[in-house]
Amino acid sequence: MKPAPTLSSAFLQPSGNALPGPLLSLREQRGTALVDMPLPTRKTENWKYSSKHLKLSDKLATNLPAGSATTSAAEDGYRVVFRNGVIDPQASRLPQVDGLTVQRFADLSDDEASALAGRLDNTLDTNATQMARLNTARFEDGLLITLKPDAVLSEPLFVIHEVTATASGSAFPRIYVDAGRHSQLTLVEEYVSSGDQPVMVDTVTEFMVADGAQITSIRLTAEDQNVQHIGATGVRQQRSSRFESHCVGFGGPLRRHDLQLRLEGEGAECKLNGVVVTQDKQHYDNHTCIDHVAANCNSEETYRNIAAAESHAVFNGRIHIHQDAQKSNADMNNKNLLLSTGAEIDTKPELEIYADDVKCAHGATIGQLDETSLFYLVSRGISRREANVLLTMAFINELVTQIPVEQVRDSANERLNRFFDDTFEEA
Amino acid sequence: MLSIKNLHASVEGKEILKGINLEIKAGEVHAIMGPNGSGKSTLSQVLAGNEAFEVTEGEVTLNGENLLDLETEERAREGIFLAFQYPVEIPGVSNLQFLRTAVNAMRTHRGEPEMNAAEFMKLAKEVSKQVDLDPAFLKRGVNEGFSGGEKKRNEIMQALLLQPKLAILDETDSGLDIDALKVVSDGVNALRAKDRAILMVTHYQRLLNHIVPDYVHVLAGGRIIKSGGRELALELEERGYGWLGIKEDEAAAAN
Ligand SMILES: Nc1ncnc2c1ncn2[C@@H]1O[C@H](COP(=O)(O)OP(=O)(O)OP(=O)(O)O)[C@@H](O)[C@H]1O
Ligand SMILES: [Mg+2]
Repeated sequence: MKPAPTLSSAFLQPSGNALPGPLLSLREQRGTALVDMPLPTRKTENWKYSSKHLKLSDKLATNLPAGSATTSAAEDGYRVVFRNGVIDPQASRLPQVDGLTVQRFADLSDDEASALAGRLDNTLDTNATQMARLNTARFEDGLLITLKPDAVLSEPLFVIHEVTATASGSAFPRIYVDAGRHSQLTLVEEYVSSGDQPVMVDTVTEFMVADGAQITSIRLTAEDQNVQHIGATGVRQQRSSRFESHCVGFGGPLRRHDLQLRLEGEGAECKLNGVVVTQDKQHYDNHTCIDHVAANCNSEETYRNIAAAESHAVFNGRIHIHQDAQKSNADMNNKNLLLSTGAEIDTKPELEIYADDVKCAHGATIGQLDETSLFYLVSRGISRREANVLLTMAFINELVTQIPVEQVRDSANERLNRFFDDTFEEA
Repeated sequence: MLSIKNLHASVEGKEILKGINLEIKAGEVHAIMGPNGSGKSTLSQVLAGNEAFEVTEGEVTLNGENLLDLETEERAREGIFLAFQYPVEIPGVSNLQFLRTAVNAMRTHRGEPEMNAAEFMKLAKEVSKQVDLDPAFLKRGVNEGFSGGEKKRNEIMQALLLQPKLAILDETDSGLDIDALKVVSDGVNALRAKDRAILMVTHYQRLLNHIVPDYVHVLAGGRIIKSGGRELALELEERGYGWLGIKEDEAAAAN
């Protein structure tokens, strides 16, 4: 038998040293633990469909040098720009709001850094997010957002993750949000790229959500076709907190997002919306996991995949209701639309329920555009292309319109239109 | 205007239309009656261009042009309109967006400028009043959760907006209460014009009191077996289909 492939030692060379001591030692310690880390293969359950798309050639082992400025999607408003995993303070515009601090990891005092080092990865089940462990061994910078109790940021904070792929390499952006009691924040993450060399973005975002806090996370993944994107988002929610997630993703050679939530305080609730669109030979894999740990929590999850041409989309939604999580209410729904016979979609709900008094509903469907509806539309003189667009848009419109930031909706719609142009021929 | 010669069509290998001949001139109203399953909807769908049905023989021309060569959307732009027996529900596409897209597709085809959202809204509100449909229906998904009668009124609303040359109404009267029948009939009568023709499929003579046809045809077993004036409909109402030599079971199914 062939030995299982392991992470190349090239990936464990030290990266930049601009971080405070405690974070450097954390990184080194995590790096050591990765020696001989087995890489996911076809037999690794959570990477079953995606391992073949993960191409960790040694060329990707170096961290990309901090890149030069390109356009950013958010010209007005608050923003932080990561270039190749390193924050560019010049391009950033930070809010000045009582109770809110936004800091670069590189700027933290030793005390702050050591407190943070003790908390990084605590929101994640790192057994299920192998590549997040690599991030913790390699990140060069990061963003720490701290909200004191009752602090409210009324406008969204944009984080633009740009990679400049003029050479091969990787970027390891990192965000940690510590949201105090009854604080409120909307965080938008946009992933974009320029340049055409093969690169990898391995990114981790964590949210600690205290009692009564309300967090909205919006994530738009739209890098170019030379970018492998592997992301993990971890969330821990305390009593009566609310977390809302809106993910919109466009395909690539590899797109992977793990979204893990733990509802740890009574009355916590989360709402997770996701839209994925793939074309050509693209691949997109969403793995979500909601742990109902405490009683009386609600989770509502709605994901839609649209796969065209020879692309492949994967949805794996796990709901784990722990023994003490009585009166849990969990609702998971995944609908999938195949736009060609060569496209593939795999969907798998996974429910583990250990409490007896719970409501848990789940549904998954895979279908094509409805011929009868298409005929009805074209019988009114509407072109076939337009009819296809109307019906495809109908499939996701509800989720797109729910994105609470207009700029992101516009940008998602613009990319959707490009997808329609590529996918549906003019008459 | 419309000329159908020896039209044969089948679905899934089964022949449904077995040689239809029909001439419709501009300004005329034709009614087609006939037992359930005789092919009335099939004829309507074939004329509109539903590819689920295969035309195996015969020809159809619209103002001299070969209709069967045209795509569904081209037929619509040339003036064919089908009010569906079972209008399709399309959640996620608003009725307003649907109607505006259709109207603008027609306008573009005629070389007219598209209507903007505000202009169209005004027009749509007027026409929805004409069919007694609350403008709130414009905001809902296409036919989504509409009652049977509301769907039929929505079909007539589309006909009024699109101003077709040939309106084919497939049982637009079925499932309507007495008031709605009046509203729909008024809508259809508003469509009547010298340069327009109407082909309506119905089971009930009572519609023909409101919309008086020039000709009545009986379609049975995939063929038109009898044609006449409006008095034929009255006779059918009284005597059923049996006297025309249609099989007993087909006749029973018609009532
Ligand atoms: N898609 C289809 N697949 C198989 N058979 C079909 C299909 N569509 C129609 N048919 C058959 O064709 C025949 C004619 O159907 P059609 O709908 O044209 O009848 P109709 O005259 O409109 O009847 P009704 O008065 O009940 O509306 C029926 O036997 C029907 O079952
Ligand atoms: Mg019928």
